[in-house]
Amino acid sequence: MYCTNTAAARRYRARTLFATTHISCRFGVSLGCLDIVIRRGAAVYLLALAPELPIFAILAIFGIYLAEEKDEFIRAVLVQSSLWATCVVLAFTTFWSLLQIYAPAIDLVLKVPMYWVFVLWCVSFAVAQPLVQRRYK
Amino acid sequence: MKNRLRVLRAEKNWSQADLAQQLGVSRQSVNAIETGKFDPSLPLAFRLARLFDMTIEQIFIDDDSS
Repeated sequence: MYCTNTAAARRYRARTLFATTHISCRFGVSLGCLDIVIRRGAAVYLLALAPELPIFAILAIFGIYLAEEKDEFIRAVLVQSSLWATCVVLAFTTFWSLLQIYAPAIDLVLKVPMYWVFVLWCVSFAVAQPLVQRRYK
Repeated sequence: MKNRLRVLRAEKNWSQADLAQQLGVSRQSVNAIETGKFDPSLPLAFRLARLFDMTIEQIFIDDDSS
């Protein structure tokens, strides 16, 4: 995690790297398979689930890290950062959904697939950590 | 919560990193506690008290008690 090198943080980074690699590979494979399989039935659901499972794993890994991290200050920073990230995602997705209703033309120009929501959460989480930690200096 | 941690640490001639290592926490944690911006949990407060051979009340100042 941000500027930390505890044993739990090292385990978290290794696990997250593993899960992220899985997401990338599975996402690539599932996109590639779209052209091969017929786009109906259970196969489509399985293709969509393939990159989704490592995302569940990443969230579970984060939960495990919070449980394993012995440094309560780091835990506090992480929990606050995740709340900020959740706030950003909820605010932005709500804004974007309303924009789709009020200004459909914008949605046609800037069509944002829903899978970017998780990426937005991760980026917000990463940005929030140093900002939250700055409050304690 | 105000505390005397910085003074006590200086008396022992310890750096924040030294204290953090003895407590098993990060240096950022020690800094946040020293500045009074982060209140430690009761177990950590007890660890600090044991380390300095003091009571918790001798390290941390309860503003509401006065």
